[in-house]
Amino acid sequence: MGGSRIPPLGKFLDPFHGFWQNIESKNHTLPVKLEIPGLKEPVTIVFDSIMIPHVFAQNDEDLYLAQGYVTALHRLWQMEFQTHAAAGRISELIGAGKDDAVLNYDRGQRRLGMVFAAENAFKRMEGDPLANMVANKYADGINAYIQSLSYKDLPLEYKLMDYAPEEWTPLKSALLLRSMAQTLNMGDKDMQMTNALALFGKEMVDLLYPDLEPMGDPIVDRTNRWGFEPLKIEDTPPALPAELIAISGLTTPDPTIGSNNWAVSGSKTKTGAPILCNDPHLNITLPSIWYAIQLHSPSANVMGVSLPGAPGVIIGFNDSIAWGVTNAQRDLVDWYKIKFENNQKEKYELDGVWKETKKVVEKITVRDREIYYDTVVYTHWGPVPYDENYRAENNRKHYAFRWIAHDESEELMTFYKLNRAKNHGDYMKALDHYSSPAQNFVFASVTGDIAMRIQGKFPVRRKGEGKFMLDGSKSASGPQAYIPFDQNVMDKNPERGFVSSANQYPADATYPYYINAVSYEAYRNRRINNILRASSAVTVTDMMKLQNDNYSIKAEEVLPFLLDHLDATGFNDVEKLGYEALKAWDYVYHADSESAPYFEAWWTNLFPLIWDEMRSDEVSLSYPTAWNTINLMKTKPDLEFYDIKSTPEKETLTGLIRASFSTGVNEVQQWKKDKGVSDKAKWADFKDTYIEHLTRTEALGFHVQHGGHANAVNAASRKHGPSWRMIVSVEKDGPKAFATYPGGQSGNPGSVHYSSMLNYWSTGKYFNLLFLQKPEDAGNKVNFTTTLNPK
Amino acid sequence: MFLPWWSIAIAAALVGFLYKTKANFLAGFIAIAMLWLIKALLIDMNAAVPLADKVAKILLVNSKPLLLVITAALGGLVGGFGALTGSVLRAK
Repeated sequence: MGGSRIPPLGKFLDPFHGFWQNIESKNHTLPVKLEIPGLKEPVTIVFDSIMIPHVFAQNDEDLYLAQGYVTALHRLWQMEFQTHAAAGRISELIGAGKDDAVLNYDRGQRRLGMVFAAENAFKRMEGDPLANMVANKYADGINAYIQSLSYKDLPLEYKLMDYAPEEWTPLKSALLLRSMAQTLNMGDKDMQMTNALALFGKEMVDLLYPDLEPMGDPIVDRTNRWGFEPLKIEDTPPALPAELIAISGLTTPDPTIGSNNWAVSGSKTKTGAPILCNDPHLNITLPSIWYAIQLHSPSANVMGVSLPGAPGVIIGFNDSIAWGVTNAQRDLVDWYKIKFENNQKEKYELDGVWKETKKVVEKITVRDREIYYDTVVYTHWGPVPYDENYRAENNRKHYAFRWIAHDESEELMTFYKLNRAKNHGDYMKALDHYSSPAQNFVFASVTGDIAMRIQGKFPVRRKGEGKFMLDGSKSASGPQAYIPFDQNVMDKNPERGFVSSANQYPADATYPYYINAVSYEAYRNRRINNILRASSAVTVTDMMKLQNDNYSIKAEEVLPFLLDHLDATGFNDVEKLGYEALKAWDYVYHADSESAPYFEAWWTNLFPLIWDEMRSDEVSLSYPTAWNTINLMKTKPDLEFYDIKSTPEKETLTGLIRASFSTGVNEVQQWKKDKGVSDKAKWADFKDTYIEHLTRTEALGFHVQHGGHANAVNAASRKHGPSWRMIVSVEKDGPKAFATYPGGQSGNPGSVHYSSMLNYWSTGKYFNLLFLQKPEDAGNKVNFTTTLNPK
Repeated sequence: MFLPWWSIAIAAALVGFLYKTKANFLAGFIAIAMLWLIKALLIDMNAAVPLADKVAKILLVNSKPLLLVITAALGGLVGGFGALTGSVLRAK
C-alpha cells in the first residue's frame, strides 16, 4: 500500500523540515510548559519510563481535552488513517491502487454502510450531554495539537505520503468504534451456508456446520438455572432458501481470531484479592492498536489502554475495580433477499406492496484522478452492497445487508461509567449502555466480586434464523424483539472460583434463546479452564505463565490420531526426520520447538485437502471448523469429502494423511533450504511473527522471535495475537497491575518508544504499571513532566 | 525554523543577488550542500533509533551514507540554482 508513491524529495529530505526532523534524539522530551487553547485550568502530565502519560486534570472537560491532545501527540497519523480506512477514504490518500484495488476497498466500506453506522452512533452521542461533552473535548484536544503543527512537525507518514491532517470531529470517534465493531462483529457466512445448503443438502450442512460443538465448557455454565422468563415470539423457523449465490471469494472470519480474559476469585489467590487478566487478540500492527494512559480528575482515577481516536479507557482498572473484554461470538449479520420492482431499484417488495428505496450517492475523492461517484441503494433492512456496479457477477439477484452496528448506540457512556465504577452494581449499569461490538466483559472488584457478562444487542432468533439467506419481502423475517439486557448470559461469583472467556460458545442449549455464530473457539478456553480449575493460591506470576502458555489441545487431540493413521513404510530420510520429531512432540509451541513446524505444515496441508470441495471459482463456501474436522475424521471414516474431486481416483482419509504428511515435510525442508538453515527448523523462525506497519512498509515493521499459536492461550500467530497483556491484582491497598504490548506508546518510527515494549512482549515479560494518586508519587519513575496551561 | 523548505533557495538567491561572482552556482551549491549535510549528520549522530537507515530502505537507496549524499546534493541544487537566479536577476 504505502511506499509506492515517491514523496517530493526536496521537501522530504530537507534536514530542517523533512523526515530528518522525525528522528528523535536520545534525550527527547516535551517542553515543560505548553499553552493549549480550550483548557479551563492547568493539566499536569507525567510521562513515565515507557512513555505512558499520567494525566492530572482539575475537571472532566480538561481531562478529555488533554487525553485528545496527548494521544494526537503520539498517534495522530494512525488515528486519522484508521478512521479514513473505516470511512472508505484511502483512495483520497494514495490513489485508486493497482487494478483499482484501493478504490474497490473504499467502495466496499461505503457499501457496507460504515459511514451510515457511524452517523447513527454519532446521533446518539450528540443527543446525550455527557457523551457529547466527552467526544467534543477529546476532539478539541486533537485539533489543538493539529493546529500547532507545521510541515516540520508532521508525523513521518504524512511526509512519506505527502498529505496533511484534517480537522478531527466527534464523528471520527464514532467511526473508529464502528471500525472496531467491523473487525470484531461483522463476520458472517450466511451466503456461504446458503450455497452449502444448495450443494450438499440440509443433513450434510448439519453434520459439517453444527450450531453447537460440544467440546467443553461454555463461558457461563448455568444449566437450567437461568432464572428468568424469556420473551415469547412467533417462533416458526424461517423457510430454507434454495439458491446458489454467484459471488466468489467472500471470506469467512478467521476462526482462530479471538481473545482471553478471566478473573480468579480471592478464594483461589495467594493474597486473597481477586486477579483479573485480559489479552485481546488483534492484528498486531504498528503504530500499536492500543495507547496506554492514566486519567485522573476529581471524578475519576483510571488506567489502562485506550483506542487512539476514542476518549476514555477501554480495558483497565481503577482504585475499586478492574475489567477486560473478549469478543462475543454471535451472529449479528443478516442478509435479506430483495426483489426490486425493476432495474431502476426505486422500489422493492415488502409484505405485498412496493416500498421506496433510498439512494445514497457516495462521493469518493481519488488522488490524481477525478472524483468517483458510487450509488448505494438502501432498503429498510440496510444497504444492498452487491449490484451490477459492484461484484456484478451476481447482478440479477440482490441482497440487503443488515448489521446490528448500523443501529444507534451509546458505547462511550459505557466506558465513561466503567472508568468510574466502584462496584459490581456500577459495572452492571455501565454495561446497560453497551450494544456493539458484543463483548464478554470480565470484572473483579476490591470488595471481592468477580463477574462475567456477555453484553451486546442481540436479536431474539427463531431456531435456525440467521444461518442462511432470509426472505427480504416479508417484514416478519426481521428481528421480532431483542433479548432484554438483564437476560443476556452472565454470571457472578460462580462456585468454581473463577470466570473466563476465550470466544467459546456462551451458554449451553438450556439457555432460553437460540444462539449461533460463525464459529466458536474450541481449544484455548479449555486450556485456561483446566489450569484455573487445578490451581490454588494463584499468584500474578502464575497468571503471567498462563497468558504465555503455548500448549495446544488441538495438537494433543489430533496428532496421535494422525500418527496412528500414517503409513510409515517407505519413508525417505527427510520424512523419517519429520516423523521422529512429531512423535517426540509435547504439543507446546515454544519458540525453540523443532516438532511444531512439522505439525503445522502437516495440518495446513491436510485441512484444505479434505475440504477441497469448499474452494470454488463460482461461489463462496466456508470451511468447517478444525474441531469438527477432527471430530469427523475420528467418527466418519467414510465421509464423501475425503475424495478429491479433481482426480479420477477415489481418495481415502489415510491416503490424504499420507500425502499431506509428505507435502508438509517437504515444505519444512524447502523452507530450511531457502533460509539456509542447516540444523533443525525452529518454531519461532518458521512462524516468523511479524509486527507490520499499517502502510505495510517493510522497513517500518519488526520480525520477532516468539512462540505461541492461535490454538494456544498465547495466541500469537504470524501477524495476529495478544495486542495487550494485562494482569491486575485488585488489592485493597491499591491495584497492582502488570502489562505489555507488542509495540510502544509513540507512533513515530523515529522514537525509541515506537517499539519499546516489544522486547518484553516477545520474551513474556511485563512492565509494572505505575498507578498514581498524585503527580508527585511518580518519584524516580518519571521520565519528564509537562504542564498544559490554558491559552 | 518556521520557513518552508524552499526558503533556502530564496536565501541563496538573495546572496547571489548581492555578491555576484563567476562561480555563483558552485558557491550556492557548496554552501547549502554543506549546510544540509552537517544538519543531517548532527541529527543522525544523536538519533535514538536508526530511522535514516529505514528511510533509505523505503526510498530504495538502501544505504544511509548514500541518503546523506543525496540529501546534500539536493540541498546543493536548491542552493546552486537559487544563487544563480539571484545573480541573473542582478545582471538584468
